Amino acid sequence: MADENDQLEDAVQARATIARLTEEVLPALIERLSASDLGELEVRENGWRIRLRRPHADGTPSDAPSSQRQPHPVMAAGLGGPAPGTGAPRDALRGLVSSPAVGYFAPRAGVEVGAKLISGDLVGYVDVLGVRHEVVSPVAGALRSFEVESGQAVEYGQAIARVEAEA
Amino acid sequence: MFSKILIANRGEIALRVQRACHQLGIASVVAYSEADRDSRAVQLADEAVCIGPAESRRSYLSAPALLSAALVSGCDAIHPGYGFLSEDDTFAEMTRAHGLTFIGPPPEVLERFASKAGTRTLLGKHGLPIIPGSGMLRDDAQALAEAERIGYPVLIKPSAGGGGKGMRMVRSPRELQQAMTICRSEAMAAFHDDSLYLEKWLEDNRHVEVQVIVDRYGNGVHVGERDCSVQRRHQKIVEEGRSPAMTDAQREALCDAAIKAVVVAGYENLGTLEFLLDRAGNFFFIEINCRIQVEHPVTEMLSGMDLVTEQIRIASGEPLGYGQDAISLRGHAIEFRINAEDTAHDFRPQAGVVERYLPPGGPGVRVDSHLYSGYEVPPYYDSMLGKLIVWGSDRNEAIARSREALDELVLEGLVTNLPLHRALLDHPTFLSGEFTTNLLDRVGSAAFLNAANAAAA
Repeated sequence: MADENDQLEDAVQARATIARLTEEVLPALIERLSASDLGELEVRENGWRIRLRRPHADGTPSDAPSSQRQPHPVMAAGLGGPAPGTGAPRDALRGLVSSPAVGYFAPRAGVEVGAKLISGDLVGYVDVLGVRHEVVSPVAGALRSFEVESGQAVEYGQAIARVEAEA
Repeated sequence: MFSKILIANRGEIALRVQRACHQLGIASVVAYSEADRDSRAVQLADEAVCIGPAESRRSYLSAPALLSAALVSGCDAIHPGYGFLSEDDTFAEMTRAHGLTFIGPPPEVLERFASKAGTRTLLGKHGLPIIPGSGMLRDDAQALAEAERIGYPVLIKPSAGGGGKGMRMVRSPRELQQAMTICRSEAMAAFHDDSLYLEKWLEDNRHVEVQVIVDRYGNGVHVGERDCSVQRRHQKIVEEGRSPAMTDAQREALCDAAIKAVVVAGYENLGTLEFLLDRAGNFFFIEINCRIQVEHPVTEMLSGMDLVTEQIRIASGEPLGYGQDAISLRGHAIEFRINAEDTAHDFRPQAGVVERYLPPGGPGVRVDSHLYSGYEVPPYYDSMLGKLIVWGSDRNEAIARSREALDELVLEGLVTNLPLHRALLDHPTFLSGEFTTNLLDRVGSAAFLNAANAAAA
């Protein structure tokens, strides 16, 4: 049972890593590669690796034979699971509702501690120069606590609430 | 004067601005992306706010994120540093609309000098010799016609930004057509703006620029020139002052013409006017940079001034308070840009952990860097790790001290361009002060490195 839980957690963790890689790391790297005159860019960090390759003018990657045409840029991510020593915040990250932007937080009316949430449920908003950015729960479960008060200034990634994930 | 400044940048310039704020007794807030959580500026900050993920479009290039960070932390001004949004008139306008001051030229001044073609015309009217060039190009057909009019070779340049991105020198209509597509996509990727223009290419030119400071009341001074002729693909690597290629009379004529023209044209705040110098010593204005520049320490070493505090002071509305007589430039200074890139392999950028870092010391030696032992260089941004600036009473002394400083500097864990700098200091063309902007590319940096090593052995 414990093993199954661990496997499940690993899978959740891996999915979170992939999501982070595709949403945040990859666009930054594509930007960097496009702005340079390089053919290839590779990044390694804690058990994963991303390599971007720019196509030649004829559409082939710089070092691949022309028979292996691929759409580009290519992402080759090797996910070796979380590296030792980096798994500490795993439990804490699960069920953590974090701020999508820097601004002022306001909870959604009617959402209170103990409320049942499903993944993607709206918990509140962060007001950025008058524009509301949605704060959503990443998992299904019960809202355990708010970490910030209504009207409080929050930064990007700051913990806003905790959700007790369903078993 | 301001009470609290948001530093909307990263790396060494964030530290540089932070130092100026501390010195002026102004509180500061460092805005940082998730990738810069462990940066030196954040460690030393009075206050720091995470503004977004690593991707600069959502952090250092996001006007809403930066403005929101400034407002929630109670700042009354924003220092944009260089690069990112430092010359963005829309961002400057938004800053003002939210009741904050943009530390740089006011938005209408940025707008007036935003178009490079327009700026050339404007400053040409006020007495500066200008490089022949085109206006903004609509399409390839217009580019071909304009190139024909100007005469080959021509340089294709992006209307926005700098740093050599989206720039190509071409010698024929065929080359022009091929390069236009590449330049457009490079410019789009780097600046989100793919508009291009053409400039006449001078063979064997030198790049010389003039530092100016102008307050909002029309008082202005120049703080001499810098020579930035050591370049690789239009990207500056080494800058020095005074220019080894100019006589005192030539310098005076250049700096005088530059400050007169910008004051009359209504420029305000710190700025740099860039010129090309031909073999005969004629100079041609190419563009103005409306921001603090990477190479500003060269001028600081020569003048004893603090250009960042001057910039903050003037942006707050204080008058300049001194005239040209108060500026005196002493000795010679050289700046080396230390980049995490592999010179031997086409300058491939490097990311990773700085295992050991020990900066050099001694008289006239200054290091502006955000490095520390154990710092992990993130792969998302510019590859510059810092700058070594060396002053001497004359060029020879500055070069001798530079050799010593580069030998002392320890930077392990990453491949850097330090060997190229060291090789440069033994190269006869550099020693004689006869470098031209295309020299490194023409010779090839790897060949250059080998030749210099052989000469030194």
